Amino acid sequence: MKKHLLGLFAGAALLPLNAFAAPVEITLWHMEQPPHRVQRIQEIIDAFNAAHPEIVVKQEPQNWGEVYAKAPAAISAGAGPDMLFAIPDFTPILKDIGALTSVKDFVDELDKKHDFVDSTVQSYSYDGGVWAVPLYNMAMNLWYRKSVFDAAGLKVPETWTDWKAAAEKLSTDGVYGIGVPANKQLYTDQTIYSVMVNGGATEIYNEDGSLRFNNPQTIAAYDYYAGLQKLSPPDSTSWTWGEAEACFVSKSCGMIMQFSVISSYDTQGGGEPNDLGVAPIPHADGESGHNTIAYANAVMLLSKDEAKRKASEEFVRYLLEPETYGKFLNMEPGLFMPVTADGASAASFWDDPMAQKYKSQIETVIANAQNGRLFGFTSGRTFPSIAAISAQNIVAETLQSMVVGGQSAAEAVAAGQERMVEVSK
Amino acid sequence: MRRSLASNILLAFSITFLVLLIGLPFWWVLSGSFKLPQEIIARVPTMFPHSFTLQHFGKLLSGSDYPVYMANSLIVAGLSTVITLVLAVPAAYAFFRLAFPGREMLYRAILLAYAFPSIVVLIPLFGMFARIGLIDTLAALVIINVTFALPFSIWMLRSFFASVPKEIEEAAVMDGAPPTVILRRIMIPLVTPGIASVGIFAFISAWTEYVFASVLIVSDARRTVPVGFSGIIGQYQIDWGLLLAGAGLAVLPVVILFALVGRWFVSGLTEGAVK
Amino acid sequence: MPKSQALAIAFVAPALLVLAAILGWPLVSAVLLSLQDVKTIGSQGQWIGFQNYAGVISNPAFWRSVAMSVAWVVANAVIQTVLALVAALTLHQNFPGVKIARTWIILTWIVPTVVVVIIWRWLFSTSGGMINPLLMQTGIVERPVGFFSTPWTAMATLIFINSWRWFPFIALMMLAGLTRIPSDLYEAARIDGANGWKRFTRITWPLLAPTLSVLAIVGTLLSFNVFDIIWLLTAGGPAGGTRTLPVMIYETAFKGYRLSEAATISVFATILLMVFALAATRLLAREGENR
Repeated sequence: MKKHLLGLFAGAALLPLNAFAAPVEITLWHMEQPPHRVQRIQEIIDAFNAAHPEIVVKQEPQNWGEVYAKAPAAISAGAGPDMLFAIPDFTPILKDIGALTSVKDFVDELDKKHDFVDSTVQSYSYDGGVWAVPLYNMAMNLWYRKSVFDAAGLKVPETWTDWKAAAEKLSTDGVYGIGVPANKQLYTDQTIYSVMVNGGATEIYNEDGSLRFNNPQTIAAYDYYAGLQKLSPPDSTSWTWGEAEACFVSKSCGMIMQFSVISSYDTQGGGEPNDLGVAPIPHADGESGHNTIAYANAVMLLSKDEAKRKASEEFVRYLLEPETYGKFLNMEPGLFMPVTADGASAASFWDDPMAQKYKSQIETVIANAQNGRLFGFTSGRTFPSIAAISAQNIVAETLQSMVVGGQSAAEAVAAGQERMVEVSK
Repeated sequence: MRRSLASNILLAFSITFLVLLIGLPFWWVLSGSFKLPQEIIARVPTMFPHSFTLQHFGKLLSGSDYPVYMANSLIVAGLSTVITLVLAVPAAYAFFRLAFPGREMLYRAILLAYAFPSIVVLIPLFGMFARIGLIDTLAALVIINVTFALPFSIWMLRSFFASVPKEIEEAAVMDGAPPTVILRRIMIPLVTPGIASVGIFAFISAWTEYVFASVLIVSDARRTVPVGFSGIIGQYQIDWGLLLAGAGLAVLPVVILFALVGRWFVSGLTEGAVK
Repeated sequence: MPKSQALAIAFVAPALLVLAAILGWPLVSAVLLSLQDVKTIGSQGQWIGFQNYAGVISNPAFWRSVAMSVAWVVANAVIQTVLALVAALTLHQNFPGVKIARTWIILTWIVPTVVVVIIWRWLFSTSGGMINPLLMQTGIVERPVGFFSTPWTAMATLIFINSWRWFPFIALMMLAGLTRIPSDLYEAARIDGANGWKRFTRITWPLLAPTLSVLAIVGTLLSFNVFDIIWLLTAGGPAGGTRTLPVMIYETAFKGYRLSEAATISVFATILLMVFALAATRLLAREGENR
């Protein structure tokens, strides 16, 4: 008897909760997992749900490390979400397994209303469709402390020569002049590409889809980057974003490349807003003008069910309304940049206390983001193989062959191109 | 037993070594979780906290569903333990005592199952569970944990049975007791410490399992502690204070459990013994 | 005795059925998968015979991973055995608090691996971590050490962390073996005037050897399958320096989107481990007969 009761209890506890409720229930997966971001998204969802009694949105935060395995598996098992946040190179994977339908009409509608930054839509436009709705932009910047630069008599570096000199000057006892990662991981892909775009090595593909990664500009950029890495902490070969920020915030690193350090600087660094400096990534000596890597994050609409799809669109519409949009972006102040014209001037964005406190930095970040590029998504030269190339972090792997494996830049880049060809098959 | 001075020194040395090796990391984590963020990341770390704050714990409990993760983990680990024992005890006894065709071969096969690279089944299992609707259920995790705990449990329990003096069992057989009665009335009470050890082994294995839980569970409400914890690691920022607090809270329940039943585990292991 | 046989089967069948369903069937489907060219979960593949097998055998990265796995298993076995032996011999002594120590030594093993990963990632990091300042203060190193920065140090660090987690468990199993050694043997040896070292080499070691060999097998199987600690700490890096077979399988399947190739590597890994397990249990059985 006791056993039966236990069995019943267990059964009840283990059954999946099926929703039989009348409102359309839709699930959002995103990778913005830190508690304060989850909390902010929940506030927005709550407001949306209250205003739309016929729809119930739920969020399920996921992890970038797992989502590449989980999303395709869950979708093919019918357990996938209705909306899934994406970066450009994640989208082709889901498109490949037939999980996506073009959202071109929907994006056009939103574009008329809010005016998207063109490059953000481009990252999701290929094969005759638009595969996700841009939501926010992230661009890489150079962060430093003004007081530290002043004490060392340094100006903000413009060129690679200045930059290296500044990093060397800042390398003193117990402090690393600069912290740049050399891990086989997305962050390193991003920082290297930020250097590459400033050295004329923007394009990875030729127009016909063949690879042109192995070229003198790429080699020069890798060579330069490896020189900077020598001035970085020894464990930078295992860094992801967090370690770089920790290094900067704890004053162990003089400069770092990062999307935004504002919130950790503010909460952990205990620093003065005025002392935090942000600048565009320096360019190669022959070049002019600064470029950077920019990630247009977007949301993919996965539901094949008409009602759920409509509900998802309604939620995305709500997110991009200037009144909510700023609140959404400020879940991590200084990290998420608007992708719409009316979002960039929205009061909901600028009225946030943190946005007020770090206004000048955020303005610089937005300005830098204008020149954003993303490897594999430039000049309309987008090919499906970019998914495999970025998923396996071959751009970063190439750097590791130099930094850890001791190869020269030319050897490593040549081998890198070979790897890219191999995984593109 | 009296010891010479030299062996006393050696003993003291190895005790110190072990205490430092095991205790120091935990002390650092525990003390770190109460430090202010600035102190945690300070370039010269402090052995004893100079500051005291509960902000990390507050942030953890308000910003994530830690209590939910905890409840899920307890359900999964508890059920896994019970089911593992229910399946393993009779099986181990049969392998130990009862004659049936293919006994040796099947026992080998179970040992081989123990040698199974678990990652191999991850992919096919996902498809299988998807077909029968087990994705995103705690039941899926229970099934997995039971499967991976079974071979070791059967193997360990069999040797516990083997350590029971033959005479006791033989006396029961003489009295004409059927095997079910012998198992229930005589063998199980005699190997209770062994069963406790195996149960704790199953519990801890389930409690710490990460890979399957991370892939098979999709919704936040059904995450276990390890997966929920990996969620707060964060990808763009590392909030060490939050992580250390999370580490502390993830360890706490098993520490409490162990304070209650730990003696059983150890005495079970050492008295029953593995052959 | 058909009745008692039926009973025996009733005892064994449930456990066997669970194992067959959850391990057996997926293994079959892994083999089927390895004969196709499926890329991502959910997509369809063509039957391509043994092409994947040929591809894996001719892939130097695969053999590197095999070597890495062997090195990982051997190093873990050695370090865990040494640490566990020290711990077991210590806990076998009588000293104040030994009972508490016997229970709580297991602390490292009851902590979820994810937590183990975070603890050590923090302690070993160059910003905020405890180990580097400690090493610098004591003058062992001058500059912070990047523990995960070269393949060699990363491997060594991972082995240390994994051993740290597992050695107490092994130590308790050894302690079990130690307590079974009759104490009158030691008494007799003492009367004969044998010193501590002699007693260890003549009594403890030979009598503990059977336990040790069982543990060696168990430990090997356990550490071969370790995946989460490696994946979460180094993801197989730097420069593939810690890419053991389980890591390679996961990476190929979920980062490289070559599911069938991953299945092929899985099949090889399974064969490898099975051969080891078979040989080892054979060997043990023979030893058991000789005893």
